[in-house]
Amino acid sequence: MKPKTTEALIKWLLAAFLVLAYVFLYMPIVHILFASLSTRPNFPYPPELNFASYSRLYNNSVYQSAFANSLIIATCTAVLATVTGFLATVGVLRFGGRRALFYAVLFAAPLFVSEILLGISSMSLYYLAFGIQGNMVTAIIANSVHCFSFSFLIMAALLYRYDWRMNEAAIVCGASPMRAFWEVMLPLTWSGIMGSLICAFVLALNGLDISFYLLGATPTMPSVAWGALRYGVKPELYALSTIINFAVFVAILGLYLRIRSEARKNRRRASTAA
Amino acid sequence: MADSQLQKRLFLDIPTAFLLLFFVLPLVALVVLSFWQTENYKIVREWSTINYRTLATEKAYVTFFVRSLVMAVAVSTTLVVLSWPIAYFIVRYGGRYKLIFSLLLVIPFLSGEVLRLIALQGMLGPAGLINGALVKLGAAPLRFIMYSNVASFIALLYLYLPMVVTTVYLSLLNFDFRLASAASACGAGRLQVFTEVIWPLNLSGTLVGFMLCFVPTLSASLVPRFLGGPNGQLYGMSIAQQFGESGTWALGAAMGVVLFLFSALALVTLSFGVNLRRTGFTGLGRQ
Repeated sequence: MKPKTTEALIKWLLAAFLVLAYVFLYMPIVHILFASLSTRPNFPYPPELNFASYSRLYNNSVYQSAFANSLIIATCTAVLATVTGFLATVGVLRFGGRRALFYAVLFAAPLFVSEILLGISSMSLYYLAFGIQGNMVTAIIANSVHCFSFSFLIMAALLYRYDWRMNEAAIVCGASPMRAFWEVMLPLTWSGIMGSLICAFVLALNGLDISFYLLGATPTMPSVAWGALRYGVKPELYALSTIINFAVFVAILGLYLRIRSEARKNRRRASTAA
Repeated sequence: MADSQLQKRLFLDIPTAFLLLFFVLPLVALVVLSFWQTENYKIVREWSTINYRTLATEKAYVTFFVRSLVMAVAVSTTLVVLSWPIAYFIVRYGGRYKLIFSLLLVIPFLSGEVLRLIALQGMLGPAGLINGALVKLGAAPLRFIMYSNVASFIALLYLYLPMVVTTVYLSLLNFDFRLASAASACGAGRLQVFTEVIWPLNLSGTLVGFMLCFVPTLSASLVPRFLGGPNGQLYGMSIAQQFGESGTWALGAAMGVVLFLFSALALVTLSFGVNLRRTGFTGLGRQ
């Protein structure tokens, strides 16, 4: 009897700690949500429902051009990081052989170099080699290096159970390697690719350190937010922050539904096979 | 056979070339720059070690570095201690909600450093939630959480908690808990099972989590600038200033090289304790 009660006690203590941690993580986000909707952004309790700061944000031309720049950087980074990350994942898992570990460490290495170092070192290279301080292309490339490792790890975590014989089966049945990729592999690995795209997109959208050193005067959303921050936080920033958080939430929700439906399909397939 | 060789080339060499060109080469450029000088915002291509001598002798830089180091060790250690119970609960008792719990960690992580700092400022600042509530209740505001090293500490915990929990979670997820049951069936106590089976077998994943937090914390530049206050200047913030306001790129490059070498040293030291196949990161363990 006694070990059971200790077991239950440990379980509930851990559960309480988990709740506390999530409160710590989400309280600032919820606070910002209330602040963006209130006429008294400093202490928005009791909460109100006032969209004035959102319309001010919508009419602010600085944020508009910054948003467009960030969107371009984030989209290109997401695609570049995911494509290279996909090649790396397949390379390590399928063709790595005895050197799989070596390549895995190499591909994860950018994760252990801080963003600021990546930013200043890329800037130094372009400055020494071409005499330019940077532009959109260099910013996209430097962001991709950082996101590449995340893409690699996400896809590797979701792809390592993939059965490579399926590609071979498709090819034996007469499909070209390209067609085998499009019609067999891509649908089966879609959740990993989607996770990588979302993660790289959002990291590049919100990252300040890397783009800051490589873009000079071109405004991006985090750099405008950072500039505004130094002159006192305005409710527009709260609104911007809330919108981004909401978008991230929707993207993660989509990813969750996708993974869940895939798991269901697999379970059904397994039960019919049995 | 030749075809599969070609494929192998394609899949492994393209990412490798990508990293060599845009990751390794920039670091080489940084090293080169650190041995040159900057005068009046212009780079002078003369080789010397004067930047490194400045770093070693100027007291301010040593102070920043030591402060950053203490901060990074404190934050990473605290996060490992905090992350274990969370990750353990999700893996052991999460059941079919495991995925929801782990994705809930991702949302705050993805909302970006600047925006998360804005949110945190809303909590900790002079007019923020905590002090605002205290003032409303008639109490004195807490001074130590406004613009101080404590504020930086809390902010860094907030920034990297999701990352460390996720790493420990991945490690525990791939851990075979039948080993723990076996140990307790053989008569080991609860504490003994933890210290002699669960902890050592998940040490690799834990160390990776520690490093993933230690590296960015050591070079943190936004957090101290925004929340650190007058006595909170950290090393990363100083690097940012060399490349920004003061225009002394070469000195900043030398600081970057020191930072890189130190992180690499810490990484190599800790990697003696890491067996990558146990981290659960790439699924290498199950092949």
